[in-house]
Amino acid sequence: MKSLQHRHEVLKKILRKAYYEKERVKVGKQWHQDLMCRIRGLGPIETGTYFFMLFEQFFWRLTPATCFLIFISVTLLFKLDFSPKYDILASLIYDTEEVTLAQLFEF
Amino acid sequence: MPDQPHKPSDVEIIRRIINGDVNSFEHLLKKYQDHVLMIAKKHVPYIEVEEMAQEVFVRAYQALPGFKEEGSFKQWLSAIAVRTCYDFWRKQYRSKELPISDFTDSHRDWMEKTLSNQFDISFNERSHTEEARELLDWALDRLSAEDRIVLELEYLEGLSVKEAACLLGWSVAKVKVRSFRSRRKLKKLLTESMVD
Repeated sequence: MKSLQHRHEVLKKILRKAYYEKERVKVGKQWHQDLMCRIRGLGPIETGTYFFMLFEQFFWRLTPATCFLIFISVTLLFKLDFSPKYDILASLIYDTEEVTLAQLFEF
Repeated sequence: MPDQPHKPSDVEIIRRIINGDVNSFEHLLKKYQDHVLMIAKKHVPYIEVEEMAQEVFVRAYQALPGFKEEGSFKQWLSAIAVRTCYDFWRKQYRSKELPISDFTDSHRDWMEKTLSNQFDISFNERSHTEEARELLDWALDRLSAEDRIVLELEYLEGLSVKEAACLLGWSVAKVKVRSFRSRRKLKKLLTESMVD
């Protein structure tokens, strides 16, 4: 068991060594100039655009929480009997005012 | 004694860039290009390194207004670099343009020798390291982008779970789970390839 663990440790060390070998890769000098050209091509940073990007990022992050809050609020409103009362509805439907005015004009 | 020329700090340079002095970005570029290239070299294939490092600096430039001055710029840039490399692999897996290498007999021999204890930890032969690299690339190509990046950061670079989580912008729990799964997959890949 100990031997197997030892072998895996050896393998891990060898793989790590191989992984760090990748750092030896050489990069051309043109790279630096090309990048600065690209950055200059982008122009000065527009902070307004950045805030919009942040808003967009947070908008989607907050969407599930917002939907959940809306659902809770609607449920609470129905539970608290928010529906229009019958009397108010009736007063709108059977508006006696109009009749009275009509009578006045007839007069 | 002549006064030493004032070397602007990262924060001062960043303020200048945000105020419209694009050329000041060159200071940051010179200071951190080796660091970014080193990250890119480890995480993406050789032919993609230059393009990837450029992408990292472009992303960093565009995100500069979001940099919190109390934090370390190097750490912030490292996180952008790692996430850019991770995005590269995600794109590769999505477009299925991944170069899949084969597990050859020489890889099998190498694995057998390694696991049969014929190799000493201190072995230093170049060819053997190259074989190990090929084998490592072969195994990593067969992992998902998430498993790959976590395995590279935690298992191969030896970062702690917290450090890896910080670089990737993931929760510690997610990194732990991914780390466990990716190690198991790597082990399975290497042992199965020996049996086949």
